[in-house]
Amino acid sequence: MSVTAVVAVAIFAGAYVLIATEKVNRTAVALVGAAGMVVIGAVRGQDVFFSQDTGIDWNVIFLLLGMMVIVGILRQTGVFEFVAIWAAQRARARPFRTMALLVVITALASALLDNVTTVLLVAPVTLLLCDRLALAPVPFLLAEAMASNIGGTATLIGDPPNIIIASRAGLTFNDFLVHLAPIVLVLVVVFVGLCWLLWGRRLRYDPGRADAVMALTPKETITEPQLLRRMLAILALVLLGFLTHNLTHLEPSLVALLGAGAAVLVSRLPSEDYLAEVEWETLLFFAGLFVMVGSLVRLGVIEDLAGSLTRAIGDNYLLAAQGVLVGSAVLSGVVDNIPYVATMSPLVHDLVGPGAGLSPDKQSLWWALALGADLGGNATAIGASANVVITGIARRSGHPISFWEFTRYGLVVTAVTVGLCVPYVWLRYFVVG
Amino acid sequence: MQAADLVEQVPTVARSTTGAEAARVVAEYRLSALVVADDAGDPIAVIPGSQLLAIVLPRWVRDDRRLAKVYDEKGADEMCRRLNDATIGDLIDDDRLTPADAPTVLPEDTLLEIASAMDEHHSPVVLVRDRDRRYHGVVTMSRLLAAIASAAGQDSDLIRRRLEKDIILRGTPEQGGPTRETP
Repeated sequence: MSVTAVVAVAIFAGAYVLIATEKVNRTAVALVGAAGMVVIGAVRGQDVFFSQDTGIDWNVIFLLLGMMVIVGILRQTGVFEFVAIWAAQRARARPFRTMALLVVITALASALLDNVTTVLLVAPVTLLLCDRLALAPVPFLLAEAMASNIGGTATLIGDPPNIIIASRAGLTFNDFLVHLAPIVLVLVVVFVGLCWLLWGRRLRYDPGRADAVMALTPKETITEPQLLRRMLAILALVLLGFLTHNLTHLEPSLVALLGAGAAVLVSRLPSEDYLAEVEWETLLFFAGLFVMVGSLVRLGVIEDLAGSLTRAIGDNYLLAAQGVLVGSAVLSGVVDNIPYVATMSPLVHDLVGPGAGLSPDKQSLWWALALGADLGGNATAIGASANVVITGIARRSGHPISFWEFTRYGLVVTAVTVGLCVPYVWLRYFVVG
Repeated sequence: MQAADLVEQVPTVARSTTGAEAARVVAEYRLSALVVADDAGDPIAVIPGSQLLAIVLPRWVRDDRRLAKVYDEKGADEMCRRLNDATIGDLIDDDRLTPADAPTVLPEDTLLEIASAMDEHHSPVVLVRDRDRRYHGVVTMSRLLAAIASAAGQDSDLIRRRLEKDIILRGTPEQGGPTRETP
């Protein structure tokens, strides 16, 4: 290994530790790390800006940007608040039925939008419903954070790690639907059962309080029905664009940007309204991360590591896939799953190649990585961005959730969901083939 | 004119005052800010008028304004009645009220210095304390503007009354209820 490579690994490891311990702003760490790679000559401008493998993956950045703009406009319609209250009323405000419907809605919304936005939208209305029902909101908030991580696993756009995996592996929206959505559907059903065991059986029904929920007027939240109709049409077209990739060959990032452009045109909202929803800091974090990982790719560090792993694995892809699945789940509970997947994707790429056209046993590694990284985020309060957001909202509303309270339930949910994925990966890719 | 000429006594509330009582005090005296004092009557926090409406708004409505629309009249009234159960201390501790960094001026400070302190801290009230930190009262924005108008040559009966009578004398429940000054 060259001196430059050794220094690059040191910079990467140092940045990773700082990101994992969250002592310093993660975006600042990623950008300083990227600058360090440039200073030591690990990457050049050409690599940073014009190479998907060794620089910034613009597909990921612009897909995130486009979806953030669409969601920013969609949330102005009040549809999320309407659906949540409508669901509670459909459940006749019975506590567990309400929780189950909120879990299903959160999982579904997280599959179509990003997790953080979903929980940001559903948490305030949950606090309102729990206040009306005179119930502690913590079980509901915990269930929603975990449902968003499970639901987000189902699609290419549901969770940022999936976007990175899709771009690096060349996997399409439909690939994710075919390979991940079926198991996620099972996981959501199982998770609803877990919600009953963990929290639901202790929730008490009070008919008087239920009346207070039934008196709410959810239709009032939809202030601009015309904008809602237009935005639902645009969202449907964007999904159609993702689904028809094989015909149109339009990258998901382009579909999202076209959708964002259409949403801006039809909404006629002032730019500050929808741009406020764009998490510029997250996008910069991704950019810095890509440059750091790209430097290791360019210097051959990832290739060397993949070579060693290939020799260790041999032809035993079953063991490798299960190792990636469980290992990713454990690591994603401890460190942010975005840098983890950004690092692992080029490694898996070197191990088995791009996802499309691979034999099932080799392709299983890509899906194991997605399942492990996404579902592992449920293990602790810092395992996924949605968890951090929910615990923050709970604290501000006077119902703090301690790290250990989250982790106590999170470990159970992660063990059960990842435990179900182990036989799924085995059956799907090694038995059925 | 100096701060000592404009100082006035305003009704204060304690941390143990309920939100409902505080709302009544603010309404009765048409205050532009709520002054929270300790047991000895020394101000410990000033809550600007713009924030006072937050005492009736739960956190979820402040996070998502659309949720204010889903309450019917009965539900909204019920939220208001809850102010009887929450004290000003609770509301500050829950971050539903955020006291301003109360600006302080010296009794000998000029109109310009008082205006500068209010502007810098975005506070409609400044506390007047001497160099020994002894509390004298407050200068309110309405009285400061009356003094500024007077200094600029604008004169009227109302301006003079505003400069002569402080808030607590303009109307108290003991005097037969809050009075409304006739224009």
